[in-house]
Amino acid sequence: MGPLSEFKKYILEILTGSKSLVIGMGITFKRLFMPIVTVQYPRRKLTMTPNFRGHIEAIYFDDTKSHHCVACGLCVRTCPSHVIKVQGEKEKAGERKYGQKYYIDFTKCSLCGLCVDVCPEKTLTFSHEYELAYLSRWDGVIDIMRRLEAVTK
Amino acid sequence: MLNIKTIDDTTINERVYQLNLGPQHPSTHGVLHLLLKLDGEVVVAAEPIVGYSHRGHEKMAENRIWEQFLPNTSRIDYLSGLIYNQGYCMALEKLCGIEVPERAEYIRVITSELNRISSHLLGIMAFVMDIGAFTPFLYGFDDREHVLDLLERVTGSRLTYCYNRFGGVRNDIDQEFCDGTRRFIDRLRGRFKDYHNLITENIIFIKRTREVGIITEETALEFGVTGPSLRGSGVNYDVRKNEPYSVYPEFDFEIPVRKEGDVMARYQVRMAEMEQSMNIIEQALDNLPQGPVRSHVPRFIDPPAGDIYFAFESARGAVGYYIVSDGTRIPYRIKVRTPSFSNLFVLTRILPGNFIADAIATLGSIDVVVPEIDR
Ligand code: SF4
Ligand code: SF4
Repeated sequence: MGPLSEFKKYILEILTGSKSLVIGMGITFKRLFMPIVTVQYPRRKLTMTPNFRGHIEAIYFDDTKSHHCVACGLCVRTCPSHVIKVQGEKEKAGERKYGQKYYIDFTKCSLCGLCVDVCPEKTLTFSHEYELAYLSRWDGVIDIMRRLEAVTK
Repeated sequence: MLNIKTIDDTTINERVYQLNLGPQHPSTHGVLHLLLKLDGEVVVAAEPIVGYSHRGHEKMAENRIWEQFLPNTSRIDYLSGLIYNQGYCMALEKLCGIEVPERAEYIRVITSELNRISSHLLGIMAFVMDIGAFTPFLYGFDDREHVLDLLERVTGSRLTYCYNRFGGVRNDIDQEFCDGTRRFIDRLRGRFKDYHNLITENIIFIKRTREVGIITEETALEFGVTGPSLRGSGVNYDVRKNEPYSVYPEFDFEIPVRKEGDVMARYQVRMAEMEQSMNIIEQALDNLPQGPVRSHVPRFIDPPAGDIYFAFESARGAVGYYIVSDGTRIPYRIKVRTPSFSNLFVLTRILPGNFIADAIATLGSIDVVVPEIDR
């Protein structure tokens, strides 16, 4: 290859290189006139899809006017993060237990859904709560029964 | 024998400068720590130091029941969590002989391939940002957002999924998801032109990636490199084709291979792989069978005593679960073979003799995920 063709190649490279840069800039420039893709969060909020997983919560059933939890403790034992605490009481001897207290430490929940799947009474589900900023780690402990009462009232 | 140059090589003289690239360096990924010995601007030796994000997943598996390891699987490689999730379920289904409904297999493939696209998008864009281009990164994340929205619609989470269950998947997909996926594929196909104009044909990108960080076929095989990094070196190996699992044999797709072995080749393989993933998803959506998405399995499974090795292809390469069961509800041992570990250590061979700026490009092109290295 002679020096002239070397030089030609060099010039050609500069030209194609500059062209590629201009094309790239063109794409960014075009973007200037396209709609905005971000959502201005506190002013506009997105609706969560039905399958969205927030922290777990109890489902309200009409027949008991409350949840169906029987405090069997299966969800407590299945939870890989050990974050669930359930306490149940019997009204009379020989009757079924009925869940009285249900706490979950959401700060450690891994949102696996194993508790929801394992519940024999199908009384658990995921909430659609996503604004979960706390000031203390104890604020992350959620009282699910109180939540259910607040919803039903 | 492996010829790994270590830092305490006595042949290095005093002119050598030692640089800690990471664990807090802005151009490394996560908490990766690379100990580089430099002679001027030339790397003399490189030594990855691992263990900063070791969480002991394998040990954790030994004190929980089989189901409780499910959320762990998506946290090993957080960028392709669904694929790991799927692999773990498939390994145990093979061990226990659980039948999976066909629809569930198709859904698994669709979600896993979507996850692969999101992982490749992030991998490519973070790599491009490493070598100085910030704009494509934002565009890539715009596209990735759509994948995450789609996955959130079915799995409920955006990054650390726990969607697969033994014997199927947790919930069915709906028509809106199918339509949304098709819309997304059309959109991404249109965006590829922009990406090629912005990145692939950009002169700065070409100059920084052509003939840089070459992994030869021999080196790749010697270090056990897998995934796009191996296919960029001219080896046609993909677990989805070579040891097919799930319903992959029913789909018509190609394994992109490049001969050059340089940074550009690895980038091109990833880009081509995204297109192939889109083909797979389209075929799966076209042939999606009806039926249940989960077969009947006991609430807690009791696998028979025995061991099993199950390999599958994550976004970074071949992953393997080696599972030993002693017939109880608690695993005896779960060993995870992760691709990033092998892929990372090839740097000890290819970085020496290169400039430090090229080292950054090479590191980015290998696309390691640090928690996956340490597990
Ligand atoms: S979702 Fe998983 S981690 Fe969270 S409370 Fe339920 S079982 Fe525990
Ligand atoms: S598994 Fe269901 S019924 Fe049993 S304690 Fe948990 S929420 Fe209550």
